[in-house]
Amino acid sequence: MPTSAADNDRIMIVCSEVHKDYRVGKGTKSVLKGVDFVINPLDRIGLLGRNGAGKSTLIRLLGGVEMPTSGKITRKMTCSWPLGFTGGFQGSLTGYDNARFIARIYDKPYSEMRTFVEEFTELGVNLHMPVKQYSSGMRARLAFALSLAIEFECYLIDEVIMVGDKNFRDKCKEHFFEGRRDRALLLASHSLGMVRQYCNRAIVLDNGVAQIYEDVDEAIAMYERL
Amino acid sequence: MASLSQGLHVQAKVVQALIMRELVTRFGRDNIGFLWIIVEPLLFAGLVGIVWTIAGGHNSGSISVIAFVATGYIPLTFLRHAFGRSSKIFQSNSALLYHRQVKVLDFIFVRVSIEAIGAMAAYIFAGIVLYFFEIVTAPENVGAIILGWCVYVFFVISVATVLAPLSEMSEVVEKLVPISVYVAIPFSGVFNLAAWLSPPMRDVLMWSPLVSGMELMRYGAFGDLVTPYYDLPKALGVSLACLLLGLTLCRRVRRTMTVS
Repeated sequence: MPTSAADNDRIMIVCSEVHKDYRVGKGTKSVLKGVDFVINPLDRIGLLGRNGAGKSTLIRLLGGVEMPTSGKITRKMTCSWPLGFTGGFQGSLTGYDNARFIARIYDKPYSEMRTFVEEFTELGVNLHMPVKQYSSGMRARLAFALSLAIEFECYLIDEVIMVGDKNFRDKCKEHFFEGRRDRALLLASHSLGMVRQYCNRAIVLDNGVAQIYEDVDEAIAMYERL
Repeated sequence: MASLSQGLHVQAKVVQALIMRELVTRFGRDNIGFLWIIVEPLLFAGLVGIVWTIAGGHNSGSISVIAFVATGYIPLTFLRHAFGRSSKIFQSNSALLYHRQVKVLDFIFVRVSIEAIGAMAAYIFAGIVLYFFEIVTAPENVGAIILGWCVYVFFVISVATVLAPLSEMSEVVEKLVPISVYVAIPFSGVFNLAAWLSPPMRDVLMWSPLVSGMELMRYGAFGDLVTPYYDLPKALGVSLACLLLGLTLCRRVRRTMTVS
């Protein structure tokens, strides 16, 4: 979506006082207890936290897949769906059918998308197979190809790059980290090397609270102490 | 206004895409595909009609039993499918909610619409076949048939917006959804004309939009052979009340829904 220069400073994603509770049996479990931060247009944010700290929950809320229990998320730039191990695809449909579906709902020409997906995923005849038969690496390839073909201003990535092989990681590097420098990125990862290499800011999630660090090394040091 | 028309444009795209994928997943590419949706209610209505004709004992006046059954059963099949498929519709489609522009209401709208289109196609096809065999004459009033269908479909979609979120909220409701279909039958005007009933009974049934819709359809099909009883303000009022409740429930369930 084109925006004028005057609008530029307003383009961001704002997460304010976000709480998320889940029902567990008869009680509730607070996963996020008041998370505040902003994603600016060129931000590459690493999201760190132990298993179960709420990284995926936060990403799902940012992507609008689930709604916060209280608090507000304001999106002033186009934002991808959470790219992760699950979601976004219909397992019973083939890779091509999923691509066609996504092209339709994002109003993109399918022919272009098809070409890009074939080239990026290198999945060949597998694209004629139902997605539920894909390995996680294959799914990751498809998810990345589709979201890159749509061109978002902000990408939400939940772990998933790590399941790829070297060829895939090289491609991600080429298309995301080097190719689309003008995009924002939120990367949940346990790969500290990747966060250190590509991110300019980091968030450490612990016990439902998010700590924002402008210095990635400091964040990693914090994370390692958890 | 710009954002409203933009929003509608996006929803139109989503609905279109959902219809395409629903058709692909439900009917596959390899069998007779989309035709099934027409053939299925037709087979059902045809077989029941034949059984009734052979068994006799069912008095529908000067209207052929098969035609009477077809006009009743095809809309009922639609209702049965629409209710049945609303159950757990959010969870079974939740992977699609990863895309923000896909709304839970789209799922309901698309499923009910597909069922409605299939049932209407079956209705038209049945009419043509019965006309060809000179069992029925040409419909007396096509406008009344269309109006009747609209009343019927609007009510079914309104009830579906209630059943869908309720089935997510409680296991009990999920199990009760199939029963709701059978509960609906006496209030659906499938087996009888309102004219055959006592006036007090008729007044009660006027609260069911299904009866109003069915009476209109039958009047449209058979003309003066039937005396239709319908109450459009009541039908619309009941449907709107249902829809309002349904929209509220959908919103509530969506806010707390866990999408895996």
